[in-house]
Amino acid sequence: MISGAPVLQQASEPAENVAAPSRAARYARPLLGALLPLALALGWELVVWLGWSNGRLVPPPSRIFATIAELARSGELVRHIIATLWRVGLGFAFGVVAGTLLGAVSGYWSLARRLFDPTVQALRAIPSLAWVPLFILWLGIFETSKVALIAVGVFFPVYLGVMGAILSVDRKIVEVGRTFRLSGFAMIRRILLPAVLPAYVVSLRVGLGLGWMFVVAAELIGASEGLGYLLLDGQQLGKPAQILAAIVIFAILGKLTDWLIEVAAAPFLRWQDAFIRVKGA
Amino acid sequence: MLALDRVSKTYPNGVQALARFSAEIRQGEIVAIIGGSGCGKSTLLRAIAGLDRASSGTVTLDNKTISSPHAKIGIIFQEPRLLPWLSVADNIGFGLADAPAAERRAKVVRALERVGLAEKAQAWPRELSGGQAQRVAIARALVPQPEVLLLDEPFSALDAFTRRDLQDHLLDLWADTRPTLILVTHDVDEAVVLADRVLVMRPRPGRLFDQIEINLGRPRDRNSPLFENFKRSVLTSLDRSLDRSVPDRDATQGPGQAMWW
Repeated sequence: MISGAPVLQQASEPAENVAAPSRAARYARPLLGALLPLALALGWELVVWLGWSNGRLVPPPSRIFATIAELARSGELVRHIIATLWRVGLGFAFGVVAGTLLGAVSGYWSLARRLFDPTVQALRAIPSLAWVPLFILWLGIFETSKVALIAVGVFFPVYLGVMGAILSVDRKIVEVGRTFRLSGFAMIRRILLPAVLPAYVVSLRVGLGLGWMFVVAAELIGASEGLGYLLLDGQQLGKPAQILAAIVIFAILGKLTDWLIEVAAAPFLRWQDAFIRVKGA
Repeated sequence: MLALDRVSKTYPNGVQALARFSAEIRQGEIVAIIGGSGCGKSTLLRAIAGLDRASSGTVTLDNKTISSPHAKIGIIFQEPRLLPWLSVADNIGFGLADAPAAERRAKVVRALERVGLAEKAQAWPRELSGGQAQRVAIARALVPQPEVLLLDEPFSALDAFTRRDLQDHLLDLWADTRPTLILVTHDVDEAVVLADRVLVMRPRPGRLFDQIEINLGRPRDRNSPLFENFKRSVLTSLDRSLDRSVPDRDATQGPGQAMWW
């Protein structure tokens, strides 16, 4: 009886810790991920500073940031970033719209699936870069062919994601909708859309990742501006710092846009039994 | 009144799940349907719900034929089937989308209190225990005030204690508006506790075998000798329903049916 009390106290203590993590812990956890890249960057900086390497082919972080700052000061950086962002945004928009529409139709009507899906899957099997020469012939060397290439890259994961998500909606939940006599449109709005949303967000993120991949391919082919052009320019003029600067900016932009999708979708996905949330943050 | 007239169901693969099932069920009556596996209990319930169409025969509610889900017929499944993206309160109000917001809110609040989950109104379904989730499913089915409520083995996935608790709770809720309850179960105890009448079905193909009126007042004492008597007669009937030696007019039974559950 008496020995029961301390046991109870012990049990309640960790529970409180989980409920209210200290402020330090909450900020420290994301910083943990930055530890490794920071250590590597500082290490390399030190190696070059000590003269153990001349850092000509692998410039130290300070030189990369100096390059970024210089490009930013001349206004060139903004111009390149806007050009690339515009291409990715436009290609992503076209790819998402087409992928969502065709994926939804194929997922919803089995006849449409039998009609379209084999063709789409065959097209998907073509390495997307194989389209480049054709797109350039058809659409010219300028913006249209680039946007088309990016849209093709975005299309397939979105198409597959939407169709797969619709096909895997739980029949039992659909039956609940039927017992409440939901019409076709109400069934889509109240049952199918929310059921499909988590998988859809994932497919958008995968699609965006491919969009960033293909913008580089498109800009390497022939462009006078854009981050991909910075890469090519750096290679041809022997400026590794500029190449690395473009790569760093790609990383930042890619992460940032991916994070935007995540944040925009979060309010709609609060209900999900997410593994991360169960672990507590 | 709910009338089933020679309801038959043959699936596309040729399996006859239900053969000429007829019964009349009074408004407000509680009927338990019990029988061996493959006796067409669930098929029958789905035909009444309008989820599946009978191959022949008719289901009529107040002289209207049921061929698709009907506003006056609600159903509770074996699993709660709550919509995971809606809060508990929104799940309960799911069938009231056409009602004015204020009325919907009031009904949901009342239902939440009635099933004892008022403090869980804003919780997500994943945060509920199995028993709580099934209570939400019951509230969701009852809130539109159906005349007939179908229950397809609703408590079979719950532990014995929770099951008893929910059986009592169901009767309590039933007393509010006295809808017709049709309960498919494989639990003899459950059938005798809840039902006014137990329909025993015989498998392959599923058809009505026997009816047992449970003339016991409520609340029922599960330990009384009378209760035991009724249980025994249901069990006896179930045993007989699986016994090949008992003659049945259109009996064409295959081998391999040993136990009724």
